[in-house]
Amino acid sequence: MKTKIKELRARYDLTQEDLARRVGARRETILFIEKGKYNPSLKLAHDIAKVLQTTIDELFIFEEE
Amino acid sequence: MKDKIGIILGIGIAVVILVTLYFYLVNAGNIDLTEIISIGIVLILVGSAFYILLDRIKNIKRGLPAQDERLKITNYKACYYGFIASIWSAVGAPLISGILFGYELEGYYVTAIVVLCGGLAFMISYLYMAWKGNLE
Repeated sequence: MKTKIKELRARYDLTQEDLARRVGARRETILFIEKGKYNPSLKLAHDIAKVLQTTIDELFIFEEE
Repeated sequence: MKDKIGIILGIGIAVVILVTLYFYLVNAGNIDLTEIISIGIVLILVGSAFYILLDRIKNIKRGLPAQDERLKITNYKACYYGFIASIWSAVGAPLISGILFGYELEGYYVTAIVVLCGGLAFMISYLYMAWKGNLE
């Protein structure tokens, strides 16, 4: 799974720590989501999408295995 | 508040373990190899616990949660690995000791091996998953 979190963070001038604070997660969690090393829960994905003013569909790109 | 209580309790338990170890070492006299290994494992566990607690304190100071959903999942998975390691060590330690060394382990040795193996498996898997990410 790929994400556009990094691009959107840059657009809104947010650091990983800023985003983590706003969604109630740890900075490492945002880092791992960006790297594709952790699949977030639906709630966390929703919260991140809300902060970055987008939808879950646009934020996460699912790849067929 | 819940996180702070957890951290204070964690530090308290770790300090009590260290103080107990200190008194044990002062009064033990001669210490054999198995005791040195056991004490080494306990020190690794306490050191790792301090590392985790300091990491949580650092996060709280920055206004971030001490534990989030990823760390909760990591915790559950590490508990599972610790549990499996405990079961296998309970079965395997007496068998290996009996077959390889021809020595029947006392009950308290088996208990110590189970606790230390479970704790070590928990700590190693927790730190590994917390560091590398825990993708299913």
